Amino acid sequence: MSTDTLRLCSLIILLAPLAGAIFIGALGPVLRGRAHWPAISGVGAALAAAIYVLVQMVQAPQGSSTISIPVYDWISDGTGLSFNVEFLMDPLTAVMLVIVTGISLLVVIYSRDYMRDHGHPERGYERFFAFLSLFVFAMCALVLCGNFLLLYFGWEAVGLCSYLLIGFYYGKPAAAAAAKKAFLVNRVGDFGFGLGILLIYLSFQTLDYKSVFALVDQGLLASGDPIPHALMTTIALLLLCGACGKSAQLPLHVWLPDAMEGPSPVSALIHAATMVTAGVYMIARCGAIFTASETAMSIVAVVGAATALFAATIALVQTDMKRILAYSTISQLGYMFLALGVYAADSAVFHLFTHAFFKALLFLGAGSVMHAMGGVIDIRHFSGLRRTLPWTYVTFLIGSLALSGFPMFSGFFSKDEIIHHALSGHPVLGGMALLTALLTAFYTFRMVFLAFHGSPRLPEGIHPHESGSWMLAPLCVLSIGALAAGFVGVQATGRTFHQFLSPVFTKTFAAAHSAEVSTHTSLWSEYGLMIFSGGMSITAIIAAYVVYVRQPWIPGLIKASMTNVYRLLWGKYHVDELYDLSIVQPARNTGRVCVGIDDYFVDGLIWVITAIPRGIAYVLRIIQSGLLQGYALSMAAGVVVLLLLAL
Amino acid sequence: MPEAMGYVIVGAVLFALGLIGFLSRRNLIVIFLSTEIMFQGIVLNSVAFGRYHHQLEGQAFALFLIVIAAIEAGLALGLVMLLFRRKDTLDADAWSLMRG
Repeated sequence: MSTDTLRLCSLIILLAPLAGAIFIGALGPVLRGRAHWPAISGVGAALAAAIYVLVQMVQAPQGSSTISIPVYDWISDGTGLSFNVEFLMDPLTAVMLVIVTGISLLVVIYSRDYMRDHGHPERGYERFFAFLSLFVFAMCALVLCGNFLLLYFGWEAVGLCSYLLIGFYYGKPAAAAAAKKAFLVNRVGDFGFGLGILLIYLSFQTLDYKSVFALVDQGLLASGDPIPHALMTTIALLLLCGACGKSAQLPLHVWLPDAMEGPSPVSALIHAATMVTAGVYMIARCGAIFTASETAMSIVAVVGAATALFAATIALVQTDMKRILAYSTISQLGYMFLALGVYAADSAVFHLFTHAFFKALLFLGAGSVMHAMGGVIDIRHFSGLRRTLPWTYVTFLIGSLALSGFPMFSGFFSKDEIIHHALSGHPVLGGMALLTALLTAFYTFRMVFLAFHGSPRLPEGIHPHESGSWMLAPLCVLSIGALAAGFVGVQATGRTFHQFLSPVFTKTFAAAHSAEVSTHTSLWSEYGLMIFSGGMSITAIIAAYVVYVRQPWIPGLIKASMTNVYRLLWGKYHVDELYDLSIVQPARNTGRVCVGIDDYFVDGLIWVITAIPRGIAYVLRIIQSGLLQGYALSMAAGVVVLLLLAL
Repeated sequence: MPEAMGYVIVGAVLFALGLIGFLSRRNLIVIFLSTEIMFQGIVLNSVAFGRYHHQLEGQAFALFLIVIAAIEAGLALGLVMLLFRRKDTLDADAWSLMRG
């Protein structure tokens, strides 16, 4: 595949959604209810180009699969400092592009009906599609870019779109606050990320992926000296800081549950399938940097495992469907980080791939429930919806089975692989991952049983109706994905997915991993583990069935007997309160003190200083009568005085 | 007494009258007329001194001054007109925007 064709395809992928966004933005008032068409065609064109690239890439010979595509010189000062707009196309990029544009297209189609009823009165419909298209552009830029500067651009641009879309219902105080929170928490992560990129530039005198990774491979700084180990760890940890912010990992996870204030399609696209996986993508992309530091890799693994377990426990007691799914997303992202940390980057990307399908499906399904329930999404307020919303129920069930790791569903294969790698790398973290898998199946089916099973019960005055075909079609497509996406990565199909990705990771994760594995004897045969974790997921589902459908008094009993634990989980481990107490309040108080100093001390000082000229002026102003003849009189008097002096 | 003395005295009287009128009257048009009177006093001076020194420059200069006075009169009357339209009065005290 020639570079020219690739350049054309990349530009289409990047610019078609941007053109859609600009078009809708410029012609919004004219388009009104037709605003979804530019978005659908823009994203559709991008998807077509992405699929074409992927197909070409699959057919290409292995050796030439990493291609740089220079577009134009961006910044150049003539002394050697130059940054280009440049794309990097390899199997990882191609897979990510298809995931991003594919899910985006389905979400845009879904939004056509969903946003009709949930649009904001003030040009909400057009605004939504403009932002969504802009997001697709930003995310594709993040994925396609060939250097760290562009990566930072894409990174910030998706953050901006996330902010705009979380705060979509800006008239609602909770949504405005959630948008602000997401932006500020991400700033913390991005600050570290920015520092990491600066440090890369300082060390290697370039931000180009290929040059940086080549230098790291050789273990040399730009000056030719060997890289100090601490420097590598510092760079990796600073980049990880950014990844933690964007992918909502501990301790920067607090923004994601609140981000559910945005419209459901946004939660599905940005806060489940694409943007939050940017951290995973970035670590996989920068494998050379991360694998160069074992400390950093261990920290990635620990952060991932801890987040996975932490978020899964919170999800056990939440009652807002979208929040449960949000914690579930945090937990699944934790799995991906764990996989990266144990050198199984291909498994991380595989889980990213399957997760994109079933989590987007679940969020869109929750959106469909919300649509039918008139905006109510709290599972305490309704039950037994499976008769009234049959399509939503079936698709949601498929998504839930995939998320729970039910055998033969997509989540089963990808999650199992991660647990397998984790157990052979870090047995303790692997154990945590197993426990998380159990909790995942339980909380997912708690939600399914509470919402869709039991006696039919609805909020007051709600007459539910199944969603229209614009909403159901994406659900069905995603269900097929949730069912089948796993099979591209199993032994039976020759692990096509992993084979395809392997050139990307040969020099980084795979090389370090083989060194790692040779020292461990694998205690777990893969099939044994598969059976074990599959059985575990089925057990958890049955347990959820017993507890929430057959014997509905049990949850109350558990709640009463373990009040403290329940309160801790219900309060999300009080992390928000802790941050509020330790960071937000002190910052706010400092702000108040500063305002006080400004108002009283600085302003007072200025008042005192200006008092002198003001006093003089107070005396002198008497002279200024403002009357024509007053001035004339003084002039005449002046002339007389001058004449007297002259005489 | 030099022969020009009478003219100079008349010029000085005209100037003084104009100055007194300028300082004491409130009507913008009268104030303006007063400036014209001061002007004529000066023109008279100029002619008188020209004659005293037996030179024609003084009288030629007076002709120029008369032309300039005519132009300036047109300009000043236009300004007075605009001021009148603003406040519907010719009272000079109505304008005191520069008061400190």
